[in-house]
Formats: sequence, structure tokens, C-alpha cells
Amino acid sequence: VSDAGDAEVILGTVAAAANPSVEKSQLRVLGPRGRVRRTLATHPTAAYVVRRFLLYLVTLWAAISATFFFFRMIPGDPIRVFLQNLQQNHLYGQSAGDEVIKEYSSQFGLDGNVFEQYWRFMQRLVLHGDFGPSLLNYPKSAQGVIASSLPWTIGLLVISTALAWMLGTVLGALAGWRRDSKVAAGITYVSLSLSHIPYYFVALIMIYLFSYKLGIFPSSYAYGVDVAPGFSFGFARSVIEHGMLPALSIVIVVAAECLLGMRQQMITVLGDDYLMLAQAKGLHPYRILRRYAMPNCYLPQVTRLVISLGVVFGGNVLVEQVFTYPGIGHLLVQASQQLDLNVMMGVTDLGVFTVLTATFVMDLVLPLLDPRIAYTRRSVAG
Amino acid sequence: MTAQEESVAGAPDAPAVAPRRSRGANWRYLRNGKVIGGFSILVLLVALGAMHGLIADWIGDGSDPLEVGFGPRMQLPSSEHWLGTDQVGRDELALVVTGLWTSLQVGAVAGLVSTGIGIVVAFLSGYTGGWVDSLLSAITDIFLVIPTIPLLIAYSAFAKEVHLYQLGIILALFSWAAAARAIRSNVLSLRSRPYVDLARVSKLNNLEIIFRELMPNMLPYLVLGFGLSAIGAIFALVGLEVIGLGPSNVIDLGLLINSAVSSGALSLGVWPMFLAPIVAIALIFVGLSLVTLGLEEFFNPRLRRVAGE
Repeated sequence: VSDAGDAEVILGTVAAAANPSVEKSQLRVLGPRGRVRRTLATHPTAAYVVRRFLLYLVTLWAAISATFFFFRMIPGDPIRVFLQNLQQNHLYGQSAGDEVIKEYSSQFGLDGNVFEQYWRFMQRLVLHGDFGPSLLNYPKSAQGVIASSLPWTIGLLVISTALAWMLGTVLGALAGWRRDSKVAAGITYVSLSLSHIPYYFVALIMIYLFSYKLGIFPSSYAYGVDVAPGFSFGFARSVIEHGMLPALSIVIVVAAECLLGMRQQMITVLGDDYLMLAQAKGLHPYRILRRYAMPNCYLPQVTRLVISLGVVFGGNVLVEQVFTYPGIGHLLVQASQQLDLNVMMGVTDLGVFTVLTATFVMDLVLPLLDPRIAYTRRSVAG
Repeated sequence: MTAQEESVAGAPDAPAVAPRRSRGANWRYLRNGKVIGGFSILVLLVALGAMHGLIADWIGDGSDPLEVGFGPRMQLPSSEHWLGTDQVGRDELALVVTGLWTSLQVGAVAGLVSTGIGIVVAFLSGYTGGWVDSLLSAITDIFLVIPTIPLLIAYSAFAKEVHLYQLGIILALFSWAAAARAIRSNVLSLRSRPYVDLARVSKLNNLEIIFRELMPNMLPYLVLGFGLSAIGAIFALVGLEVIGLGPSNVIDLGLLINSAVSSGALSLGVWPMFLAPIVAIALIFVGLSLVTLGLEEFFNPRLRRVAGE
């Protein structure tokens, strides 16, 4: 192919990108060769989605690999530690043969060098979705153990984060709207200091106040010893009572952060012309606030929430540990004390997966919701 | 201060700094009241921490106040023990001062390492551009999503003999990404300023431009990054210790809080055991936050009105 042909091809692509009115048939002649590349060139959105998805996969793989190698760097042999515990506590004078140790090492994916272990771990994870057996609850699988404590974490985190987000967004909008009032300034200063406090401090203060001093709420576990799990009124009440303090410690901090973000957003929006117009039309101030000013602040608020998910996840681990709440954070601490590598990997990777997937979905959905955010969509939409 | 505010109110989107000399640092951020206040608190704390040996000698008067059984157990403040004693009879004031020094050091080490990595990555990526930038940005994104607290818990729970500094460095190794990203965006905007072009035309090499033109202008920004990483590191490690997972071979503020909780000091009414380390941590937090808030206001003039002034 001559140089002139190449130049024509490039021109064709540029024309297609710049001017959507170029006809499809023309594009087919001038566009890049190869079906895949041509499709991508004519469908920038598809190209963006594909590129973003590949990036997502690569990031996921790299993050999982990094945590894998980090965990294998921890000194100590989990199987031997476990057997030593058994010998000291239950089976005096007996010791496990080398064959037993070898068998368990291979079951837990601990034989061979680190790279062989890594290869087998990835194979097992990708092909079978399996993290291997759990040392804490042998022979249950790590993902089974995680799945049984996941509902508690999801319940706690989803409810408290959603509540905090709504609370923070509404209060933040009001604080931004009435930013000259003393109350708004007070709220802002309070949340400014609250947003920097670590969750576990709030948790400790909560326990001290509501559990020790006032005795209103219980300080540990997810439900009382006197109720049996099931769909009964007593159990539901017990769960709510026990979840109150851990949820509050998350709500307070997250709500404070949301409030500050929303307030910031509101203040940037408040100077805009379309609000002046709405005011000039004589609309009621609260209608302007709710229908004109606030909708423009929702998306940045969602973005902020998704970005902070990782931090929320990490803070949740400590909160669960403080309250001995039986979610995956508490499980992670237990697993770490036994060096249950498979469960540790499972919990950490679950966190990584959640954050990455949320960011990925957000990147795809945001341009659809907000026309101002256009990655490659603009060239299509004109 | 008023002149500054007026100029901001007049033109909210104008750059924070007026046209300035092409070279050298701009020290205006030091005039911010928050920066001055926060910095004085920090200096006071560092001085107090640095003198922990002297204070311990003075309290101990020959014997070691950190020794088990130095005084009677769980005392309330008296003329002999200003902050009382803990559950094994150690002097609380000496403990807090020693713990303060450790916590400050850990924060400083973690903050320095993470800001250092952040600076190197950010300048390499922002200044070089091209595929180096793409690669480093991708790596930064990966480190941004790895949750550090599970890693720390895992490492500290098993490796009991690790030192707090090692944990600080591990924390820094996994938490430099946020700083790198923020600094990179700043480098990108500074790189295209006229005075950098001028430097390039006058044949300064890249290192000279980075160290003599870019760095001085970004100094407050780097301090901001350092402050945020230090706060993050101190709080993460104190958190580990409060829930009883940290190394117990070094006295730091988190360990003191943990021992107050686990020895039941609260229900026994020995308030200094609980309050003293928390106040010390709160002061570190207030000092660092004031400095970072002040610097943020310097960079983002909009915040000046937002902070309710």
C-alpha cells in the first residue's frame, strides 16, 4: 500500500470523528482495515467501553497479584503453626508426620515456590472461582466462610452508608444554601472535625456513652445470646439493637464527609445564571433548591462516594473488630491471627473487586447520566 | 488578611497568588492564621516528645518511671504523679510523653516515605509524559485501590516482632498513590507555565528546572501531602493498636489507649489513663489538620469563604 493510501485512511478516520454526517458506505471505503479496528473506529463508544473494560481487567489482575505476593511475604508456615496449636492444646505427645504436612500444604496451595503457588492460585481462582480451603473452618472453602459472614457486613455497610449519604447530602445542601447563617457555619465546623476522626474513635466513644454509661445499646456481636436466628420479631429487634452503635459510628463520619462535599458543590452551583433566572421567575426558594440546584450536585456526590468506598471498607474492618461484629472485617482479623491465607486473600480481593467494579460501572454510567461528561461519546452525538 | 479576602471576593476564580517573580518560593501561605496555629502546636508537641528522656529522668529521679512497679497502681493525679499511674504502676506522664515521641516519629517516617515515593512518581510521570506517564498512572491507580488496612492487620497480627517503624514504612509503601496523583496534576499545570518555558529556553536542564523552578513553587503542596499522609499513618497504626493488633514492644499512644481499655481504667474511674493519650493524639491531629486546612485554603481560594470566615 502506498503512502497516499495510508494518508487517505487517516483522513477518513479523522473525517469520521469530526463529522458524523460522513456516510457509512464512505467510511467503509476509507476507514482502517480489519473488521475489529474498523468497528472500533466507527463506534467510539464501543471502543471506549472495550478499552475501559480491558483496563479494568488488568487493574484487577495486578491488584490481586500484588496482594498475593504481599501475603506470601509474611513470615511463618501456617500449617506448622496450626499443627503446633493442635499439639499444645489437644494432642499431647503426638506429632504429625511429614506426609500429613505435605498433604495439607498441597491442599492449601502452599507447596512449591512462590511462583508455582501463584500460578496454581490464579488457576483455581479464575477457572473455578475458588480461593481454596479455609484453615479456620476446614474443610469449608474460604469463599464459603466469607459468604456466611458477608450478609452482616453488607447489611451494616449498605444501610449505614446509604443513610449517611442521604443525611449528608440533604444537610450539605441546606448548609450550602444558607451558608451565611450561624447554624450552617456551626454544622460545617462540626462536620469538618468529625470527618477527620477515625471510625474506631467514634466507635469507642459510642461504646463508652451508650453501652457503659447509659446502657441503652449492647456493645458487641450482632444479636443477643437469648434469641435464636430466624424470622421472628425478637430476633429482628435484637439485630437492630446490636447494629445501632456500629452503624452510628460509620454514619457519623461518612455523613460529615458527604455534607462537606455537598456544601462545596452547592456553593459552586449557587453562582450560576440559571438559578438567577429561576429566582427572577419568582419560584419558591425551596423549589429552586430542590428542583434546580440539588440535582446538579448529585452526580459528583455519587462519584465521591464510590471513590471513598475503599476507605469505608478499611474503616469497617476496624469498626467490626471493636464491636466484634461477625462480618468479614472481624473474619479477616480472625483469619490473620491464624494466618489463614486463603480467607485473608478472599476478603482483601473482595474489597478490591468491589471498589474496582464500582469505579468501572460509574465510568460507564456517568456519561449517560450527565451529558457534560463525555469521553468519546461527543464525537458520535455530534 | 482583609485585603486578601476582598481581592478573593472580587474575583473568586482568580489565581490565589498575584503575578510573582519567576524564580524562588512564595512564602505567602505562611501568613495564614491556621498554618501558624497548627505549626506552633506541632512544634510544641515535637519539643515535648524530644524531651521525653529528660522528663522521664526528672520524674524518675534516679529510677526509671517506665519500670513496672515504679509507683502504686492506678493512681489519680497527685503532686508526685502529675497524671497518675497506670495498671502496673508506671508514671502516666512519662508514658504519654514517650508514646507521643514514638507516634510522631512513626507519622514522620511514614509521611516522608510516602510523600517521597509520591514526589518521584509524580515528577517522573507528569514531567516526562508519554508512555512513562501512562505506565506510572496505571500503577498509581492499582495502588489506589489496594486496601491498606487489611494488609496491615495481616502483617502485624502474625509478625509480632515487627517494629512500629516497619509497619509505618509498609503503610507508606501502599499509601503513596493519592499523594502521587495530586502532585502529578499539579506538575502538569505548572509545567506549561511561562516561567518554565523561559527556564527551558535559557538552557537549564530538566533536573535544574524540577528542583529550582517547580519544587519551590510546590513546596506548600508537598507539605500538604506530607501532612495528610502523616495523619493517615498515625491514625491507621493507632487504630491497629487500639483493637489490640499492633506490636506491643514499643510504647506509643495507641498502645496506651489499648491498655487503658483492656485494664478497665474507664469503669474504675482512672480517667488520666484514658484521657491523656487521647488528648495527645487529638493535639497531633489538630496541629496537622490546621496546617493542611490552611494550605488547602491557600490553594483553593474558594475554601476561604467556605470555612465560614
